[in-house]
Amino acid sequence: MNTLFEKFDQISKSPAAQLSAYKAQGKKAIGVLPYYAPEELVYAAGMVPFGMWGSNKKTISRAKEYCATFYCTIAQLAVEMLLDGTMDGLDGVITPTICDTLRPMSQNIRVSMSDKMPVIFLAHPQNRFDLNGLTFTVSQYTNIRKKLEEIAGKPITDDDIRAAIKVYNACHVQQRRFVKLAGEHPDVVTAVRRSAVLKAGWFMLKDEYCAMLKELNDKIEALPACDWPGTKVVVSGIIFDNPILLQIFDDYKIAIVADDVAHESRTFKTDIPDDADPMMALAKQFANRDHDVLLYDPQSSKNRRAEFVAQLVKDSGADGLVLFMQQFCDPEEMEYPYLKKELDAQGIPHIKLGIDQQMRDFGQARTALQAFADVLAVG
Amino acid sequence: MGDIYTLGIDVGSTASKCIIMKNGEEIVAKSLIDVGAGTSGPKRAIEIVLEKAGMSEQDLDYTLATGYGRNSLMGLADKQMSELSCHARGAYYLFPKVHTVIDIGGQDVKVMHIDNGAMTNFQMNDKCAAGTGRFLDVMARVLEVKVAQLGELGAQSTRRVEISSTCTVFAESEVISQLANATDKKDIIAGIHRSVAHRVTGLARRIGVQDDVVMTGGVAQNRGIVDALQDELGVEIHTSPLTQYNGALGAALFAAQIAKKRAAKAAK
Repeated sequence: MNTLFEKFDQISKSPAAQLSAYKAQGKKAIGVLPYYAPEELVYAAGMVPFGMWGSNKKTISRAKEYCATFYCTIAQLAVEMLLDGTMDGLDGVITPTICDTLRPMSQNIRVSMSDKMPVIFLAHPQNRFDLNGLTFTVSQYTNIRKKLEEIAGKPITDDDIRAAIKVYNACHVQQRRFVKLAGEHPDVVTAVRRSAVLKAGWFMLKDEYCAMLKELNDKIEALPACDWPGTKVVVSGIIFDNPILLQIFDDYKIAIVADDVAHESRTFKTDIPDDADPMMALAKQFANRDHDVLLYDPQSSKNRRAEFVAQLVKDSGADGLVLFMQQFCDPEEMEYPYLKKELDAQGIPHIKLGIDQQMRDFGQARTALQAFADVLAVG
Repeated sequence: MGDIYTLGIDVGSTASKCIIMKNGEEIVAKSLIDVGAGTSGPKRAIEIVLEKAGMSEQDLDYTLATGYGRNSLMGLADKQMSELSCHARGAYYLFPKVHTVIDIGGQDVKVMHIDNGAMTNFQMNDKCAAGTGRFLDVMARVLEVKVAQLGELGAQSTRRVEISSTCTVFAESEVISQLANATDKKDIIAGIHRSVAHRVTGLARRIGVQDDVVMTGGVAQNRGIVDALQDELGVEIHTSPLTQYNGALGAALFAAQIAKKRAAKAAK
């Protein structure tokens, strides 16, 4: 089991080496920026979808030439890695435009990178549920499919997409299973390990990842039950993958029993439904995504998302919630008062910690998390 | 069971404080050095407090560290705890009816809710020096006065000016601009106190303010800030002459609690 954890850790820490390894196999790779790009199409084209969620090791420098100061660091560092050559191995990049930062950033990338690699624009519809919304999503995905066919130099058949959907749905099952098992065995699946396992999935072909993850899950499942002496939390936010920050959870015995994190469960909680038309199946998956700060909710006045998060805390047996607020993330910031209102109403303790990917010192977060563990222990 | 002596060390960002307690009931000695984490301050503060108590390290039953630099004392301390828990504990010892603790330290602001002596909720400032002791240090430097004088000078203000920015950098520009306009320093200081109060009030209201309200930390020695906060929050704020030692006091109390449990277990 330790060997598997080490493998996931290595992959999560060195995406550039992973990219080079795929390239050495003669594979093409496509950068996939957040959020909800249909990377199944990349897989169906026989190429490697490569997640781009910023970096905890880089400093924003060249990206300042293009990016506004209020872009989140995830977006700025994605541009930085494209500009500084880290992602030169990519054969193209898909730029979804679901938030107010990603929209202009897609154009920054187009202006700065289109001489180097194809930049594929993706606009998801706001109204994604009715036939018009679904048709629009299909038309956007069809455009991506065409561009990917040009890069791959071969057509992507419907059967290729159906096969990819099968792989992705099977992977979702293992990812959800891992999250549950990690919550049940925090003594073995530490916060640092949990993050590395989930992060590695963004840098691997999903069939390879799924097989490795299943092997790990089987081993975790065979472990004796864990009598956890610490506290249990649900984490929420866009991304929290800094090992130094995660180590604080382990230091104070704060187990992560579930998450509402965009980089983690929000990505794989919704399967791709059955449909005769595989493109429509992908569009329906996007339509079925729910309780998400980034997606339009026609019933938003009912505060359904906050209720969902509160229920997640209860269902997972957590003592409270830790919210990592990504600096300059408008959707998360705007949603927070509603979330706080619901958590307070249901008596669920929570803390909000501001983070960005250029943070190197976590002294304040350490103090807050230690104090939060004290509060949860009292409750 | 013999007497139990415990040491609480609060290694803050700008000062190191120590308290030795006997049986978790009586303060035996205290010390304070005006430099904190990463300096010789903690070691010197420990030497002084031991000297004042006429004790050596071997006489201590338990040592507990808190504050921003608490992790740097591994080996010296038996355990470390967050300063929030320790401030809550210290405030409860000094004011048993406390429900809200406002602690303005060197580089952060914390508001804690206390029920029956235990912290049940808290808020901290984000990564920003606004409203902290560091903010006051910067302003005092620009105004060419000592931080300790701010309270007294601000009280003499007759026409408080508005310092609208809570950001330390922009507020500093505003203060320089006021000085350039020959505004009386006392009025600027009163404006600075009000600016801190605005910032802290916003934080406190997020978790609710319930009587009794106690203010701890070095900044609580500044009467101007306490008055401005009372005015903004509309409640009476209690302070103690031991305010700057409150974190160390809480640490010594927790240490006593642990040492007593340990002694009782050993006696069985």
